[in-house]
Amino acid sequence: MNEILGKIALCIEFGKINKVSPYPPNMKDQDGADELTRQALDAGVKPDEILENALVPAMAKVGEKFSRKEIYVPQMLMAAKAMNSAMVHLKPFFQSGETKRKGKFIVGTVAGDLHDIGKNLVAMMIEGGGWEVIDLGVDVGTDKFLKALDANPGAVIGLSALLTTTMENMKQTVTAIKEKHKDSKILVGGAPVTMEYCQKIGADFYSPDPQGAVNYLKALVS
Amino acid sequence: MTNRKFQYSFNDLDVKISDVESLLGYNETSEREMIQSLIEEAIQEAAGYCSIRAEYRIFKNVILDDRNKAIFINDVKFDVQKIIFNQMKKSESMAVYVSTAGAGIGERSREIMMGGDPLKGYILDIIGSLTVDAASDLMQSDLAASLGQSGIKITNRFSPGHCGWSVADQHKLFMLMPDNFCGISLTGSALMEPIKSTSGFIGIGEHVKYNNYICSYCDMKECAYRELKDRNQ
Repeated sequence: MNEILGKIALCIEFGKINKVSPYPPNMKDQDGADELTRQALDAGVKPDEILENALVPAMAKVGEKFSRKEIYVPQMLMAAKAMNSAMVHLKPFFQSGETKRKGKFIVGTVAGDLHDIGKNLVAMMIEGGGWEVIDLGVDVGTDKFLKALDANPGAVIGLSALLTTTMENMKQTVTAIKEKHKDSKILVGGAPVTMEYCQKIGADFYSPDPQGAVNYLKALVS
Repeated sequence: MTNRKFQYSFNDLDVKISDVESLLGYNETSEREMIQSLIEEAIQEAAGYCSIRAEYRIFKNVILDDRNKAIFINDVKFDVQKIIFNQMKKSESMAVYVSTAGAGIGERSREIMMGGDPLKGYILDIIGSLTVDAASDLMQSDLAASLGQSGIKITNRFSPGHCGWSVADQHKLFMLMPDNFCGISLTGSALMEPIKSTSGFIGIGEHVKYNNYICSYCDMKECAYRELKDRNQ
């Protein structure tokens, strides 16, 4: 792998955002994901190479470490922030169409529920997995999911809920989506959600952690 | 019916850096230098965004239905399930309480999270949760002290969502309260707004007991609050 891509990956894995960022202490005063991504582009490295060979593997490592409980939410958020600092430089290439992403992922917390931390974590990890994320926010009704899917056919849907009361709203949304777009893939997650519940309401996949969702999406396009 | 209202300043509460660290997943052996300075900064900022209130009402019309593990307050039935019922069953009256850190802390947390600093936003979110708990602790201490003079004791606090008690019962709990009690409203899905709020019951009676370690009664073995309490034991 190109040396600079290795450095970008390392910065993202350990949450080194930019040169002024004091974290992690052993990388103090070194360039971070922000500067290194700019340097890579200036040196002629293609944006899709940066995405595929730096961002995606780095975020995969972060997700795996989180699944194994080797790191906690703060380290994951630092990594996501570092990834975002690299992504800022890549976004113009996505927008121009020069660099393609793996697909679109529409995510939202279901109707009646205002909790978004878990949903945001999943969104960050999936973006880091090379997908375009369309975040509908919190308290998202079925109609809004359907409209987003109409506007982005073929997108994968992610539904999040933190309460046993709002988890019930997942069923209504899943049923409506499957009625209108029967081939759509729907992921569900959140504290009270289980694989059994996922199967019961007709969703396609449940994961207790963000990396499971990333791996599922990866398998869909591989 | 007795009711009392409280207003606290953030400095009245004892929100510790170590408690935030624990809820973030850190322990004594973790490298914490960076996170400690972020938490310290967030605690200082949180003080300006909290509007902390608490309130309780004591209800005397209480029936404990042992067969169905339910509690009736003013003829409203609460299916609290076995674990909570057993903690409450010797109650002669019941305090229904709510407390809130206000809307500002939750809004600020979300604003920062969406503004590109998810870690700081997450830390503020946790501080908001700890603030509500700390306010509830102070309110509960006041209740214990005021009843203790007559030899009356209280139980721990229990909320809808705990130990199998359905969150949906929050609607019934709020039926016992005047509208906009403590500035809190309830969504159709039983979610309180402001989001950094809590509600529940405290049993009152001569023969009830307060347990210092209530987590041992709960089914959730990997709860972050249990880890925090274990660490503080």
